[in-house]
Amino acid sequence: MKKFYRLILRDIHLVIKGSSDAGAALLFYLLAIIMFPLSSGTEATLLTSIAGGSIWVAALFSSLLSLDRLFRSDFEDGSLEQLVLSGMSLETIVISKCFAHWLTTGLPIVILSPVLALIIGLDFSYWWILCLTLLLGTPSLTLIGATPAALSCAIGKGGVLTALIILPLMLPVLILGSGAISAEISGLGGFGHIYALAAILPISLVAVPFLASKALRLGWE
Amino acid sequence: MQNIFNFLANPSRFRLFSQKVYPYTLFIMFTFISLGLWYSLFNSPPDYQQGETVRIMYVHVPAAWMAMMVYLSMTIMSVFALVWRHPLADILSKCSAPIGASFTLIALVTGSIWGKPTWGTWWVWDARLTSVFILFLIYMGHITLVRSFEDEYKGARAGAILTLIGAFNLPIIKFSVDWWNTLHQPASVIKLDGPTIHIDMMIPLILMALGFLFFYFSFLLINVQTELNNRKLKKLFIQSFSEAN
Repeated sequence: MKKFYRLILRDIHLVIKGSSDAGAALLFYLLAIIMFPLSSGTEATLLTSIAGGSIWVAALFSSLLSLDRLFRSDFEDGSLEQLVLSGMSLETIVISKCFAHWLTTGLPIVILSPVLALIIGLDFSYWWILCLTLLLGTPSLTLIGATPAALSCAIGKGGVLTALIILPLMLPVLILGSGAISAEISGLGGFGHIYALAAILPISLVAVPFLASKALRLGWE
Repeated sequence: MQNIFNFLANPSRFRLFSQKVYPYTLFIMFTFISLGLWYSLFNSPPDYQQGETVRIMYVHVPAAWMAMMVYLSMTIMSVFALVWRHPLADILSKCSAPIGASFTLIALVTGSIWGKPTWGTWWVWDARLTSVFILFLIYMGHITLVRSFEDEYKGARAGAILTLIGAFNLPIIKFSVDWWNTLHQPASVIKLDGPTIHIDMMIPLILMALGFLFFYFSFLLINVQTELNNRKLKKLFIQSFSEAN
């Protein structure tokens, strides 16, 4: 357990030092949100109706962008192998890496989202449902993307291919997350979507460590 | 049962077995599909509301069933490949993906052709259509991933891992019409309290479904044979190369 915390602290330290691109992913999140009013017009009614969806799309893309490097640098310089040799199970390493990734890219997105919702024109009374869906959804995005990220290490090249594989898997989370917001705004109540979103998180938390570590071991074969 | 699994685990034995079985599955497929086509085109009543367009159903519904069935069988075979390291399971799973993708595409295209006269639109973003479209994208991602590995053993294993991640989409597709209010109609054949479709329409539907199932079997066997032959060719090539030196 102590090693688990140490590993998370190490990853966060790497982000603060600037040797990981979590900061860039956050900046990308801001930029992606600005794209929506610039491309589809700045009328207030239109912006209100697309606000939730555009914040979700931006969150998905910024998480996608940083996921490609979730294991890559550690896999390539051999520190992942050294961690396994130190007696930690690969499954634990996968969970701690995902948790660190969420802390450095997912959590800032959740914290920033009410402010950005104001800018983009979402009614401020709906900030809680935006935060709730992002809080439940961003860890699922990280976990769902972890296995394809590990597979891309096994191939040796990433980039477009990783995005191509991850995106369809992430779509249900996007649909449920933005669906909850639009259902709440239209008065139907968004909790049906939120319950489904909350169900995806524990399922992926159970399944992903095994599959991602299988994928990483495939790369070592 | 276990004996059959162990017997077929040997690739060259499986190749012999599939070469023997393949003509029979092909024959059964042609019988079922030609019978089903005759029933569905000439010997079944038009719908009282939709008229003759209902005949699209006899291609659309079996293709959609097979799209899910193929993914389900890929999931089961991936579990076999990853848990018990069955040497053929990941090949079977890999070779199923292009067939499943074709069935999904057929279901999407026929559905949109059927949607135009009955719903008045080619495409709606309701839960059933969207989730089947996502299934198609997952199939395409799977095919791309498997092909991007230089080592086909690794590629097949990676495909098995990806299949399991994508499997959560299956229950969403199956129950999307029950969970959400969709334009797509709810299930009328596979239901707990018996089918609500008339027997005259049921017969061609079942015949076509069986034909599509045996289509899957025959093409899976061809694909696996090709895959095994490719692997053997590569091995022979390396052998001849090392002997020459």
